Amino acid sequence: MISVKDLCHSYNKDGNFAVRNITFEVENGETFGFLGPSGAGKSTTQGILTGLLEQQEGEVTVAGYNLKKTQKERFNRIGVSFEQSNVYGKLTAKENLEYYAKLFDVPTRDPLELINLVGLGGKENVRAGEFSKGMKHRLTFARSMMNNPELWFLDEPTTGLDPTIAATIKDIIREKTAEGTTSFLTTHNMFIADELCDRVAFIIDGEIRLIDAPKNLKLQYGQKLIDIEYVKDGKAVKETLKTVDELDRKRIGEIVSNYEIQTMHSKEATLEEIFIQVTGKELLAE
Amino acid sequence: MKIAARGYYFYVEIVMAIILLVILLFVSETSLSGGKQFVHNDMPEKVAELLKDKSIDRGDARLAGFTEFRLKPAEFEITNQETGETSVHVFEDEKFIELETFEMLDSSTGELEETVYYVETEEDLMRLSHSERKVGLTVDMNARGRVSFKYYLQGYETDRLESLLYVLNNESPGVVNDRKDRQVVRTLGIAETLNNRENLVPVFLAYIGSLMGFFIVMAYIFYDKAEGVIRAFAVTPSVMWKYLLSKVFVILTTVVVSSSIFVIPVMGARPNYLLFYIFLVVTTFAIASLGLLVTSYFESISKSFGGMYAIMISLMIPAFSYYIPSFDPLWLRFFPTYPMLQGFKEILLNGDVGYVLTYSFAFLTGGLLLFVLANIRFKKTLTA
Repeated sequence: MISVKDLCHSYNKDGNFAVRNITFEVENGETFGFLGPSGAGKSTTQGILTGLLEQQEGEVTVAGYNLKKTQKERFNRIGVSFEQSNVYGKLTAKENLEYYAKLFDVPTRDPLELINLVGLGGKENVRAGEFSKGMKHRLTFARSMMNNPELWFLDEPTTGLDPTIAATIKDIIREKTAEGTTSFLTTHNMFIADELCDRVAFIIDGEIRLIDAPKNLKLQYGQKLIDIEYVKDGKAVKETLKTVDELDRKRIGEIVSNYEIQTMHSKEATLEEIFIQVTGKELLAE
Repeated sequence: MKIAARGYYFYVEIVMAIILLVILLFVSETSLSGGKQFVHNDMPEKVAELLKDKSIDRGDARLAGFTEFRLKPAEFEITNQETGETSVHVFEDEKFIELETFEMLDSSTGELEETVYYVETEEDLMRLSHSERKVGLTVDMNARGRVSFKYYLQGYETDRLESLLYVLNNESPGVVNDRKDRQVVRTLGIAETLNNRENLVPVFLAYIGSLMGFFIVMAYIFYDKAEGVIRAFAVTPSVMWKYLLSKVFVILTTVVVSSSIFVIPVMGARPNYLLFYIFLVVTTFAIASLGLLVTSYFESISKSFGGMYAIMISLMIPAFSYYIPSFDPLWLRFFPTYPMLQGFKEILLNGDVGYVLTYSFAFLTGGLLLFVLANIRFKKTLTA
């Protein structure tokens, strides 16, 4: 569904690249996570894939269309949910979706159905300008499904939403995936990526460091860990130690023998910890 | 249109049109001379000097030196109101003349009432009356010492004003009819002149279409940029030029409605409205397209203020020439509002259709070019 080869982009066209030699492929029906901290190049890549940024170097095919040729009809098959909500504040929720529906050349979904789907039922006749940030975000998300997209670009789809609404949004994404929709999910939230993505790409400083399935990454990088809390000199101390590392195992023995243990839990490495392990950088919220 | 109708700018333009209509209705249709009068004394020089000296002695006037006027090539008709005869006058030369200038004072307060320029020849008087759009007066004294007055009017003066002119030059209203029989009152181009009120309409039209259209189209786009909806539009199959054209269409609708609000009540059924709306639409389209192009170079309305202000001031400059006919340099004609002002004037006068159609074509061509450039720019700078 998406094929990217040697993609480079420089905003000032001065050789200072925001993304450099990006290469990956997204299969039909796959949910592909593009993960990285602020400024890593996630938005630049998605901007190019959605046609909002000019393609400078490399080869990109999206939904079978070569992006170097302007073919607006490809958007009949593509949906884009923006991180920043962007709806007409002067129009009601229903009017926003009705206006957007008219811009497509393919059958579109019922605006009221979409409004109900994202939990905005009863608010269809309220102007979007009166909505909270989260409500606007849900309306933007609903709008991205208007044309039943085969390829769905999701930029931080649950950012700023309360846990209940975020769970609803994640359920909708899972349903669409089950129906065969291909999703390109851009996020810095590793938990969502872990929950939803078939494969993830770690991007840092404009370059992809790794692409694999979360499960494989955990097997490859995620040694079993033990979180251990103990009292030393009257103060609580916490350490995380690997059960497969000889030195760490010795250290666990020392702590158990010499100190008062408060808590001790075994756990799997999270995707975030693997990201830090692979890239050497932490994921910070944008 | 629904979005525009819920916005602020649509109503600003409509309210502005109503304000302009109110202003127009308060403007008098006629004016004696706007504080300026051109006089030719067709009498022996000694008598003329004597009359001037008497006025100065009485405190009614004071000599204010000499004033230079430029007489441009001109062609106009003069109709003698009494005989109905029309004569065509063509002047191909351009010359500068210096006129003796008197300030006429209120004898009781000493305040300036009007400025009178003495013109040496009747021919120059006609040309000045035409170019300056002021009443010209020839004072004639025959061999028997009888004085008569001949006015060169602009054609729009009311009967009331004409009667007033008779009274002003007679000892008492009782002799008006007697004098009227013996005076020849001529008018300059009856069908070619707008009265004071109508003369404001081309200016209002040009500026409601250009300045407001230019500003409001920019405001609409910047509003969409700020809300991010232009990015949402960009990821639909709909093409950019349709989006831009929808904004221009809103401006066209607004300008047509707002212009009609003050043009129809003031001008009535006299103008050729088909020509009027064609010219209004093409000029607004061109200026709105200019607004689109300018918008594509800026991220936000606050960053565009410098450029926007400079262009709006530039568009206003031709108004100086419109109100001061002697100020008409060639470079001024390259400002789009110059032919807009002249074109609207010609339409309201039922004048030169060829001029209007020629410039309609020019505005349409220029507008299309600007629109195409704006479309290219927007496609390239969508995320800016």
